[in-house]
Amino acid sequence: MTRFIGFLVAAVLSLALAGGAWAEGTLRIGMTAADIPYTGGQTDNGFEGFRFVGYQIYEPLINWDLSRSDKLPSLVPGLAESWEVSKSDPKKWIFKLRRNVKFHDGSAFNADAVLFTFDSIKNKQAAQFDQYGSAQISWRLSALKAMKKLDDYTIELETPTVTSFVPYQIVYMVIVSPAQWNKVKDWRKFAEQPSGTGPFKVARFVPRERLELDANKGYWDPKRTPKVDKVVLLPMPEPTTRLAALRSGQVDWIEVPPPDSIAQLKGGGFQIVTNKYPHNWGHILRLDKEPWNNKAVRKAANYAIDRVGICKSLLNDTCVPGTGVVYKGHPWFGNPKETYDYDPAKAKEILKAAGFDGASKRPARAVALISTSGSGQMLPLAMNELIQKNLKDVGIDVDLHPIEWNSLTQRFRIGFTGENAGVNALNISFNFLEPFSGFGRFFHSKSVPPTSVNIMPFVSPESDKLLDEAEKTFDLAKQDAILAKLHELVVDEAPWIFVAHDLNPRAMTAKVKGFVPPQSWFVDLTQVSVAK
Amino acid sequence: MWRYVGRRLVLAIPTLLGASIIVFSMVHLAPGDPISAILPVDASKEQIDDIKKAYGFDKPLPVQYLKWLGRVVQGDLGKSIATRRAVILDVRDSLANSLVLAVSSSLLAFGGGIALGLLAAFRQGRALDKVASAMAVIGVSVPHYWAGIILIIVFSVQLNWLPAMGASSDGGLIEYLRHMTLPTIALALIPLGVIARVARSAALDILNQEFVLALRAKGLAHRRVFSHVVKNAAPQIITVLGLQFGFQLGGSVLVEAVFSWPGTGYLLNLAIFQRDMPVLQGVILVLATFFVLLNLLVDVLQTYIDPRIARH
Amino acid sequence: MSVIALPQELSIVGTAPMSYWRTVAWRLSRDRATLVAGTLLLLIALSAVLAPWIAPHDPSAGAIRLRLAAVGTPTHVLGTDEQGRDMLSRLLWGGRMTLVAGLTPVVVAFLVGTVLGVIAGYTGGLVNTLVMRTMDIFYAFPAVLLAIAISGALGPGLPNTLISLSIVFIPRVVRVAESATVQVKGLEYVAAAKASGASVWQILRHHLLANVLGPVLVFASTQVSLSIILAAGLSFLGLGVTPPAAEWGLMLNTLRQSIYVNAVVPALPGLAIFVTSMAFNLVSDGLRDAMEIRT
Repeated sequence: MTRFIGFLVAAVLSLALAGGAWAEGTLRIGMTAADIPYTGGQTDNGFEGFRFVGYQIYEPLINWDLSRSDKLPSLVPGLAESWEVSKSDPKKWIFKLRRNVKFHDGSAFNADAVLFTFDSIKNKQAAQFDQYGSAQISWRLSALKAMKKLDDYTIELETPTVTSFVPYQIVYMVIVSPAQWNKVKDWRKFAEQPSGTGPFKVARFVPRERLELDANKGYWDPKRTPKVDKVVLLPMPEPTTRLAALRSGQVDWIEVPPPDSIAQLKGGGFQIVTNKYPHNWGHILRLDKEPWNNKAVRKAANYAIDRVGICKSLLNDTCVPGTGVVYKGHPWFGNPKETYDYDPAKAKEILKAAGFDGASKRPARAVALISTSGSGQMLPLAMNELIQKNLKDVGIDVDLHPIEWNSLTQRFRIGFTGENAGVNALNISFNFLEPFSGFGRFFHSKSVPPTSVNIMPFVSPESDKLLDEAEKTFDLAKQDAILAKLHELVVDEAPWIFVAHDLNPRAMTAKVKGFVPPQSWFVDLTQVSVAK
Repeated sequence: MWRYVGRRLVLAIPTLLGASIIVFSMVHLAPGDPISAILPVDASKEQIDDIKKAYGFDKPLPVQYLKWLGRVVQGDLGKSIATRRAVILDVRDSLANSLVLAVSSSLLAFGGGIALGLLAAFRQGRALDKVASAMAVIGVSVPHYWAGIILIIVFSVQLNWLPAMGASSDGGLIEYLRHMTLPTIALALIPLGVIARVARSAALDILNQEFVLALRAKGLAHRRVFSHVVKNAAPQIITVLGLQFGFQLGGSVLVEAVFSWPGTGYLLNLAIFQRDMPVLQGVILVLATFFVLLNLLVDVLQTYIDPRIARH
Repeated sequence: MSVIALPQELSIVGTAPMSYWRTVAWRLSRDRATLVAGTLLLLIALSAVLAPWIAPHDPSAGAIRLRLAAVGTPTHVLGTDEQGRDMLSRLLWGGRMTLVAGLTPVVVAFLVGTVLGVIAGYTGGLVNTLVMRTMDIFYAFPAVLLAIAISGALGPGLPNTLISLSIVFIPRVVRVAESATVQVKGLEYVAAAKASGASVWQILRHHLLANVLGPVLVFASTQVSLSIILAAGLSFLGLGVTPPAAEWGLMLNTLRQSIYVNAVVPALPGLAIFVTSMAFNLVSDGLRDAMEIRT
């Protein structure tokens, strides 16, 4: 009762004191990012940057369709109306660009803008080369070798090899306004007054504190012109801070509420929104040394984990058990032989058959590098302590070395050498948005460092063959089938300890309407409205 | 006296120089590489090296130090790796917020502390003294970050009277004050306790002097005794006030972490997390400089009030 | 920073320091508040030392389905934490970590600082300037800031925390020790002892150490509570002890996420820090009153 009265009093007070600062239809979001993502185009802060800045202010030639919850987003025309492989040369793609699109600064979008953006990422000699933005994104654009303007609304893209993965990469490159950049000739200044073609434009930018976006009422797609007038983005890396901000009415929407608070939030009339999305949380194992060079130990480890316990009791149903790289129901899941249910007895059996009796004869001690927090890492300390216990119960000993998230991403990059020589497992979360990020970078022999992050290393001629074939297959359904076969191979090889897939929990007030949670890392804010 | 001031100022320079060396070495000896904090996992080695060169991280440490120092004395604290903004701007903004918090919690701590301390001294041995002294000890012993959490639980979560985080740069003055309330209280607790105890102890010293006892026995007016006590206790109290203000400015990290108050502590925390070296160096150096100058001011004030105290 | 006034009796009992300490002991025995606080401190220390035997559960064993049980649950008298581990056991074991992290730096600072300070104070001249100016440089940083900066540089872990906090406290102890030494050195009877041919070592032992140790000891005891709060604070920020260790500051950090589910359990580690800190403060107050040191 006290809480209810308190809430009323606070509501009245805050209305009285708000001084009418917000127009109706303002959506205030608490992000997990520690700072405002880079607004200069090719954004940082990983996918949260794309989610709230990159894809709101800017657009790529090809978009994700984020309008549905019931299936994976498909690729749809964005700033390009159509695209196809050239019939004469499979290493060339022709993009027909959309007409009558204006940047926020009023200048027209055309092929020049696309080339300008391409050079800002790929051409070190260009005046507009964005060193920072380029470092964020160019590794994702390996298939984009060169771009040529055929006419004002047609672009030809050249790829180094024949690859069907081009659209998946094009989707990462957002287009910036050359006219606006040429006014300031500096990326930092451009970041303060950015100009893209997206459904939102920057109204106010206070570094480290807030980013205010206004709806772009002149957006080219009338179906996606924002319903809400204003979006305010606030960095709130601390989960309790986000929670407090939501409950006290400072924000309308928070990313990743603390799992423990979900029951209370539901009871308090807040909406909890979840959905599957291409996220994987697990341990990457070192395959060339003990203990994980023994397939039996890897399989046993996967049967020893109480995934349901983790997701239900620890994370309050904000994740689902993961027994592979992708989740069940994903077109790439296939039909793996190993099901990896929670079966400690089976795990012990597997170990016994391999010569480990669980008492004096145990596998070599595993040393796992984990993080203390981090985007997409969920609750790493709590989850890993459970995993450690699960593994100990079947006879596998694990030491946990928690380090800070940024250190982890750096040490991940170098692989199991140098500083990591004593480590044989790494806990880091990933996306599998498209074939390269899901499989290519891990399971192809040419992806070993420094080219990419196959640090295990996972070397299998069969896997290489499937990946190469997938890259040459332009029919999406056939490509999915090939990748599903690859997935079955990977699951049975168990190069990782598969644990869980996050469900991307968000909490919002009851006044937020119209949001459709897609099966994606990104969101469409244009259909959202905030009721009075 | 001005010679004393001059001498102290000159002495402060090697101190600050030494501090700058410490700051620089601490930050650069830390494990973890700042560039990887802001680049995605898969960025190529070439790109990492390019950015390192752009920030001058490829040069040997002493060279980097001298270049940094050279720019610092011209007022340029470098560029933040995370935001690519001038560090001086970040420091200025966050310092403003921290100063606001430090000043308001100082007012609370000083006012409350002196009042509590004097009250206890003048009522020595009686119930009021015991209560006031107890409150002072509690103030000194409480971990302020825990106190902050308790305040959030009570006033924000349960009662929903006050906001739990941030500084609200848009709601106007009243919103700002509302956001400021809980962090101010949390930050004021320890200094309040310290000041109360020092004030009590200093006042008691004077009150227990024989001639004061005699005067009081003879019936000297309360007000005269009071002003005598205040005048003579002032040096010690001022020393403590200065120290505590420095504590609140530099030591607000924990409270700012709990409340996400965008001050220097919050910036420091973020910079450590992001391994943003230029920001770390800039913030710590600025705070240290502030602290040194503050100590200087306090020493000078003390000497001014009581010239006998001039230190070697 | 301020002048240290030595005990009044010093000029009278200069040649017989032993009865001074006996006087101190006598005064302490009369001070009820200090005795109570001292007993509490003893209990806390004992419970920390005896933790392996008196803790009802294994502090690292948790049943995930029992997480965040409320205070008063039959098998878990003080509830359970976010992993289902027994709070009472973790508090007992955590006390060891926190006390070690809190006391060690102060003890180290006491030893190192006294030696450095006495040398600087007694020798004077260049040595004094060198030592004191170096200490000034560290003094330029507020304690919390220095601790965080050094810990941020060294990384988390108990040994690094101890190093970091020791560095924070040594300069302070040096200052107090040097100041006291300088004053005692200037007293008449010390000059007399020098004139009568007593060796440096004898002078140090009989006069300086006894009269300098007093203020330094009192000062050090006042820093313990700060050290405990700082050590726990570092763990709270993720710069101190690492999980899955039980340590009060770390527990405060990990339980902070749960304040909306169960507000009492997360408050317990903070309460423990608070009580311990207060006990140390009361004891050091009593020591100061008994020794009649005013700093």
